[in-house]
Amino acid sequence: MIARIVSISLNTFRENLREKLLYNLLIFALLMIGSSILLSRLTLGDYHRLILDLGLASINIFGVLIAIFVGIGLVSKEIDKKTIYTIISKPVPRYAFLVGKYLGLVITLMANTVVMIIGLLVVLHVMDVPITVLLFKSLSLIFVELMVITAVALVFSTFTSSTLSAIFTLAIYVIGHLSADLKTFGEKMDTVGRGILSALYYIMPNLERFNLKGHVINHVDLSADDLLLTFAYGASYTVMLLVLASMIFQRRDFQ
Amino acid sequence: MAIPTVILKTEVLRKTFKVGFWGKQVTALEGLNLEVRQGEVFGFLGPNGAGKTTTLKMLMGLIYPTSGKAWLFGKDIGNAEAKARLGFLPESPYFYDYLTGIEFLQFYGHLFGLRGGSLHRRIDELLDLVGMTHARDLQLRKFSKGMLQRIGIAQALINDPELVVLDEPMSGLDPIGRKEIRDLILRLKETGKTIFFSSHILHDAELLCDRVSILVKGRLVAMGRISDLIGAASMQSIEAVVEGLGSDGLAQVRPLTIKVTVHGERALLVLNGQEQVDPILDKIRAAKAKLISLTPQNSSLEDLFMREVREQGGRA
Amino acid sequence: MKARQLHSKSQNLITWLLLSLLLCMTIMLQYQLQQREGHVQKLEQLRLLPRGEVLKPALLGYHHLGADIIWLKIIQVLGERIVGEKDYEWLYHALDVATTLDTKYIYAYDAGATVLAELAGRVDLSNQLLEKGLEPNPGSWRIPFVLGFNHFFHLGDHLRAADYMARAARVPGFPPAGPPPYVARLATRLYAQGQNPEVAIEFLEGMLQQTHEDWVRDQLERRKKRVTVERDLQTIERSVQRYIEKNGRNPLSLLDLVVNGVLTRMPIEPYGGEYRLNSKTGEVTSSTHAERMRVYRSSDAMAKKGDIE
Ligand SMILES: Nc1ncnc2c1ncn2[C@@H]1O[C@H](COP(=O)(O)OP(=O)(O)OP(=O)(O)O)[C@@H](O)[C@H]1O
Ligand SMILES: [Mg+2]
Repeated sequence: MIARIVSISLNTFRENLREKLLYNLLIFALLMIGSSILLSRLTLGDYHRLILDLGLASINIFGVLIAIFVGIGLVSKEIDKKTIYTIISKPVPRYAFLVGKYLGLVITLMANTVVMIIGLLVVLHVMDVPITVLLFKSLSLIFVELMVITAVALVFSTFTSSTLSAIFTLAIYVIGHLSADLKTFGEKMDTVGRGILSALYYIMPNLERFNLKGHVINHVDLSADDLLLTFAYGASYTVMLLVLASMIFQRRDFQ
Repeated sequence: MAIPTVILKTEVLRKTFKVGFWGKQVTALEGLNLEVRQGEVFGFLGPNGAGKTTTLKMLMGLIYPTSGKAWLFGKDIGNAEAKARLGFLPESPYFYDYLTGIEFLQFYGHLFGLRGGSLHRRIDELLDLVGMTHARDLQLRKFSKGMLQRIGIAQALINDPELVVLDEPMSGLDPIGRKEIRDLILRLKETGKTIFFSSHILHDAELLCDRVSILVKGRLVAMGRISDLIGAASMQSIEAVVEGLGSDGLAQVRPLTIKVTVHGERALLVLNGQEQVDPILDKIRAAKAKLISLTPQNSSLEDLFMREVREQGGRA
Repeated sequence: MKARQLHSKSQNLITWLLLSLLLCMTIMLQYQLQQREGHVQKLEQLRLLPRGEVLKPALLGYHHLGADIIWLKIIQVLGERIVGEKDYEWLYHALDVATTLDTKYIYAYDAGATVLAELAGRVDLSNQLLEKGLEPNPGSWRIPFVLGFNHFFHLGDHLRAADYMARAARVPGFPPAGPPPYVARLATRLYAQGQNPEVAIEFLEGMLQQTHEDWVRDQLERRKKRVTVERDLQTIERSVQRYIEKNGRNPLSLLDLVVNGVLTRMPIEPYGGEYRLNSKTGEVTSSTHAERMRVYRSSDAMAKKGDIE
């Protein structure tokens, strides 16, 4: 089964590589990262901060955009184009198809992120900004965030059109970054409101957990325990979404 | 004679779709009972919208039946073992068009766990079989419709399946292409495969099928050998073309015919069987008219089909 | 066939179980992380905010939303209560960013300044924030009102407090949007009576009417109780003075004052203690608070060692 999943994901990766959007976003991201060199000439004082700030933010934002806009079409496009017919009629369980598609996009994201990271490292090196372990901790958590968002897009992709998936996934992305505020908000409400909001807080992905950008810029370390726990959180959330997506996908008709 | 093994069977298979905002129920298939035996070529016929594709999609596990059951190789639909012994060509197939012919077949081979030299050999064989060796390195986006249909069939055969299910394999092909696909199907039959295909091109079905079924508006209206079906509905007719009959002559012959069509001087008379030939000829001679042709018409699958469709349409 | 159905049912059950298990695990991890992070991270978030002038163009026109979100984050930090000395600088920074993004964010000026002055003891920052809000918000009486409050209670400058109060009173409009009537009254009394506990209490009551954040209210209530003690003590002291003028000797007890008619009614000590009279010296004290509040003494002569502000 694993071999089949790998075939599907490699095929998906190959399909993604044909996506023009991907290259546009990637080029834009690299330009942003590179532009920090120019900007740092303009600002007095702490240009290390500016370069790290802009670099990490670009990698994060463009990663998220790729995850969402490629992720939403992952399954719905296969159904629309009926390419799924020949796959599901082969001895490939539906969940395997889904996992294959997911991993395919993860590979795509990985490739993109690596390119962007190389871009950032080059800029950091040229500008003599120290490259720290903390930077890599932050980058790895950015990637975990991308994996979670891809899984969210995949869940929506199994039952709605691309446009709706994009809207829903963006909404979850925003809520995911505000979920801690949701909870605080709820604490000021009556029991019902508090119940609903704290339920939301626990069910929605808490994407702020994956945000170490501030740590990097202000040199605030994150302990290995915390890092591990955050990884575990991201992994467990992702697997949960994959199971959920499989359950929805298993039940649906391909019309 | 040994009883042939049934490898595909459905039992009161039903499918309703919800359509529109209010979820109005539309029945696409109503209680289908079907049996396909090992080694035969089975034609699944019906006009547009009869429910053929719906049935095939259910058999392939792409949509779920509303009620009823179906088995492939004695296993429930969706079973992986059964799927491993199966090949499927969807209706007007859409494929990953960025792959080349050979990459395309490789991908499907991998889905069956095939790889390495054996897969390569299999792919070469198949490309040769469907006559697509020249397009092995061409991207599918550059394929013509006929080429897509062929590579689609190759894809369905990659696992050397026992049962090949084809949804409209001949649609969109020119007469030569259709003949080639027909030959291909016959060749597959010779190698002992069972072929189950849907079509509304009756001529092809007539030439190929051991048995057919006719589906109209989701209902099965006939199933059996073509000769039996036509025999049961046996209705030999004879057509005579006559020139210069005149209105008097026409009035004279009309009671002996089923149908008269007049084109200027000429008239087409359809007679209901052999017995009417002599009396008609007498009348023509009497009217001093000229007999142009006299042809017996063999009742065809088409007549049967048209009649069934008309009757169903009338009933609905 | 039956068996197959059973099989798919049990498969179904397994996936549901798996899903619930993963959900529990996720929630547990989320909870665990939340326990570990505590307060520090939230403050850090405030610290990480870029300057308002930089942030505003980056928000592409959504700066009001940005101000709201920052305010939400500020509220979280305030809710924690265990904010340290230095952290208030960051709080001020965040408030400054929020009010730069949305210069008319009255509530942020109002509540933020009150917190800075009342909880943080940073009147300087509080006034700085309010002064910044005066110009873009000529229609708000709250900003000058809180400024007046700060000048009165924290800086002991009742004349400037009176100026601000007059400014607040001049804001056009009627309650609830415009200034309530007591604002004008307070202004007048500030000019006339200065640092008088009665004025202070009226001031605090006005403030309490407008404040909804619990932790600020607590602070104001505390202050009000404390001032009430001072007011009562001064009332009693005046009666003692009158008693001496009338009878030529110190009163023996507080009851003596009431019986004699120089004190209309025995004030109740708001902390649940009692007021005491030293019959030898004629000195009046509260059983709960030994120190006195110097700001409200009419003359420096009355000030004593150990007075507080
Ligand atoms: N997804 C669907 N939603 C609603 N109705 C559907 C759906 N799929 C098929 N139908 C309806 O079911 C009926 C049968 O459709 P089906 O595609 O099975 O016909 P068919 O026999 O394959 O026709 P054709 O020869 O044109 O391919 C039609 O009336 C069609 O409108
Ligand atoms: Mg069809």
